[in-house]
Amino acid sequence: MFSRTTACRGAQRAARTQAIRPAQRRGLAAPASGSFQYQSGEAKGVKFASRDFAGPTTTLALVSKAGTRYQPLPGLTEALQNFAFRSTDRRSTLRIVRESELLGAELNAYHTRENLVLEAKFLRDDLPYFVELFGEVAASTQYKPHAYTEEVLPLILFAHQRFLANPTERAVQSAHSLAFHRGLGTPTSSASTIPVTKYLSPEYIEEFSKLAYAKPNFAVVANGAEHSELSQWVNEFFDKVPAQATSEFGNLAGTEQTKYYGGEERQAYDGSNAMVIAFPGSSSFTGKFYKPEIAVLGSLLGGQSNIKWSSGFSLLGKAKATPFTQVNTTSAIYSDAGLLYTTITGEAENVAATAKTAVELIKKIAAGEISKEEIVKAKAAAKFKELENGQDIKAGLILTGDGLVNNNQAYQIDEVAKKIDSVTEEAVKSVAKSLLENKATVSAVGDLYVLPYASELGLNV
Amino acid sequence: MSAPSLAPYVFKRPWLQRFLTPLANWYGNAAGYRQLGLKADDLLPEENDTVLLALKRLPANEAYDRVFRLRRALQHSMQHNLLPKNEWTKPEDDTPYLSSIIKEIEREMAEREDLEAMVILKRAKNAGH
Repeated sequence: MFSRTTACRGAQRAARTQAIRPAQRRGLAAPASGSFQYQSGEAKGVKFASRDFAGPTTTLALVSKAGTRYQPLPGLTEALQNFAFRSTDRRSTLRIVRESELLGAELNAYHTRENLVLEAKFLRDDLPYFVELFGEVAASTQYKPHAYTEEVLPLILFAHQRFLANPTERAVQSAHSLAFHRGLGTPTSSASTIPVTKYLSPEYIEEFSKLAYAKPNFAVVANGAEHSELSQWVNEFFDKVPAQATSEFGNLAGTEQTKYYGGEERQAYDGSNAMVIAFPGSSSFTGKFYKPEIAVLGSLLGGQSNIKWSSGFSLLGKAKATPFTQVNTTSAIYSDAGLLYTTITGEAENVAATAKTAVELIKKIAAGEISKEEIVKAKAAAKFKELENGQDIKAGLILTGDGLVNNNQAYQIDEVAKKIDSVTEEAVKSVAKSLLENKATVSAVGDLYVLPYASELGLNV
Repeated sequence: MSAPSLAPYVFKRPWLQRFLTPLANWYGNAAGYRQLGLKADDLLPEENDTVLLALKRLPANEAYDRVFRLRRALQHSMQHNLLPKNEWTKPEDDTPYLSSIIKEIEREMAEREDLEAMVILKRAKNAGH
């Protein structure tokens, strides 16, 4: 006679594996709880998104569509960024600083090509205080002439000095302006040898703030806050913010579809050398020109190792002239365009040699001479980078806010990861081929005697 | 630095203001600085940080006008003569262009002092930490 347990064992095992399998099949992107995704909403015309990431702290950001791309006059974004958290109608600069210090918070403002971001990190309980502060900064900052001369202007000049001393940054800015000309190509900080304060005045900055902090042009994004709570406070504290973007400047500049131009620029610079080789890339996932294979190609070229004491799997990582030559390939994504660029820094000879290698490698990829294994590795690395954007609070906040403001949808990380998974070897090959057929962007900063011209590299510009 | 003033006390009482205004106007004209083309705020002692900062915060055109008035007044004072009557400062032009900035700076400083002297109490919620 079979005992009941023996008879049923097979069925039991079957049931057990059934129950276990879904959990094993769960991809990286599928969240353990529902909190990995940003939930978005709108309160009185203010777009907001939040994610209840477990933990005792919250990061709150106001992401405004007021990056250097959209500024009507040069330098306005940088000036407005430095005016953030200064005296408002209700509180002085000092009081804002002291109050947030007492709450143990961190205040920060920065800008990218497309966005101006005000960021605060604080303990979870203090959410209402900081939503109110953001509302106040957006609606009632006082753009006083003396605050401009005493506090804002010196910061702009310092940033300018720092920029001039950094050849890599200069090469990247130059590549962007070659690739996109106006709009997206506008440098993120004053890039000429003279600062652009010529176009700045407190009145202009105030006018620009009416565009930057108008309801259709910004989004409030929180990480580690309850959605209902954020919705309640956003509803309450953003009443005074202008509902429509109206100012003497008309509307934001640079909103037309970005066009890729390409070209070559060479700047003599004493000290160190940098070279940027760039190609048209992919827009952000929320934009119209999303090409996941660009991200894969970017990590395939790579240059930097993610693992210590190893040159890494990436093609440039292995092929660069010396271990001391720094190489990095970035796929910069913007709302309606992108730039895939390789930055090379180091000794002039090594930079020149590595630049030649980089172009040869792209030709190799286009010809399909890369092993399948490499592409699988590159896909994994690209996917990891994307998913890390979900973990990395800062990147997640900007991408989400940017998506909300520009394209009315939050950045959904796992969908991006899925897209990357579906990239085929053929797609990478064909995208590499198209890069070589199009005009490239090459900018060299440093010893121009040694650094090669684009034509010497075999690129057409 | 702004001097102690009875003005707010007087302004609160209309009868007192009515009584004192002619007296104040007489005093303003009798003080003699208007005859040299100066404004009352040009006479404030500037040898301290507050006023120096306030002078830096003056809009460029006002700072220029101030220097011009001071130099003209000095010249006339040395020569022991007065300006022609049509160039005297008119009472309506005698505005407190600098005192308003000085007051703002003093408010800022007072706020800083207050915040420095602050006593911090822990929120009941966090008291155990």
